[in-house]
Amino acid sequence: MENKLSMEQVFEKLGDLKQFFIFGQKIVPLFKKIIDFMTDIVPLLENVNNSIQDTTSKIPKAAHQINSVTSATEIATSEILDIVDSMSNDMTKIKNELSDLKNGFLNQRVALDAFAQKVPASSETLEELKSNLSIDELESKVISLEEVINKIELDATNITISLQVQDITAQQLASVNHLIHSVQEKLSSLMVDFNKQEGFVLLDTETPKVDPKVFNPNAKYDRSEAHQSVADQLIEQAKRNNNDNGNKTSQEEIDKLFRNNG
Amino acid sequence: MRRVILIADDSPTIRKFVSVALSTKGYEIIACADGMEALEKLPGNKIDLLITDLNMPNVDGFQLIKSIRENEEYKELPIIVLSSLGSSEDIHRGLEYGANSYLIKPFDPKRVLYEVSKYLN
Repeated sequence: MENKLSMEQVFEKLGDLKQFFIFGQKIVPLFKKIIDFMTDIVPLLENVNNSIQDTTSKIPKAAHQINSVTSATEIATSEILDIVDSMSNDMTKIKNELSDLKNGFLNQRVALDAFAQKVPASSETLEELKSNLSIDELESKVISLEEVINKIELDATNITISLQVQDITAQQLASVNHLIHSVQEKLSSLMVDFNKQEGFVLLDTETPKVDPKVFNPNAKYDRSEAHQSVADQLIEQAKRNNNDNGNKTSQEEIDKLFRNNG
Repeated sequence: MRRVILIADDSPTIRKFVSVALSTKGYEIIACADGMEALEKLPGNKIDLLITDLNMPNVDGFQLIKSIRENEEYKELPIIVLSSLGSSEDIHRGLEYGANSYLIKPFDPKRVLYEVSKYLN
């Protein structure tokens, strides 16, 4: 009786063992697949790791190159501005000279008229002299020269406005450098995680850190008056709220000021 | 006597633009690269007007305006903001902190001169 019970237990155990072998037969191909997958993925991960290392080592160079671009455009802009400034000074001198010439013509006319009044008989000769002096003709040439100078001055102003694109692009580039720095930080931490077991030491390849306070990531080179007009309206409104008489700045007012100030 | 204008902007080109535009009209210019430097230069010089950017290292333009307005001595100092920040929120913020004028980059040098002359002439 006791023997029969033991044999049943043995068969039961053998049944379990058979189930285990059946399960094993099923699981082995799965393990094989996992091993194949690991065999494939490890070189791939190594490749990713190497790519990250490679990219991380190149990032600081890219960031420094961006800084070099900013510095170079700063120098070039400054040089152009110096030239424009020098041109503007020359224009002012020419304008003053032309103004003196116009005064000279006026004085000549006054002198000729005074002479005509003193010596009435000479009026015919004076007319001939006036004609020879070509005062009207020369004066109209001076006036047209003044118009050309005014146009050059306006062009110079437009150049200075256009040159401000340097400041806008510098801010955009600073924003890019800020992003690059963030990417490099993430990649560096990934690399440290990847290479923990191997006693990996991260190379000191820091990108220049950019304080997010120093740039406007949305800086745009926009010469339309739309934003300025909003600013003017808000200032006007603020002044009204403060019971101050805020006057909207018109282009006419600005032009008037510059006509008066020369 | 020459009127003294303090310019705070971290961009050397903008400092130069403003300096060139204003010095030709006889103003004396003191330029600095951030708000901290501007706060340091305020006491020693008789500053008649401040032109400031908003995005600057160390002390930015908003903090600079706030600090100036908190100081009784400079409460009435005319302040012109010159910034690429052009949203209504930024403009509101600038005015709330105590700016008198707000100019958006890129700016017309004539407009800067006009704003300066409003306070100094």
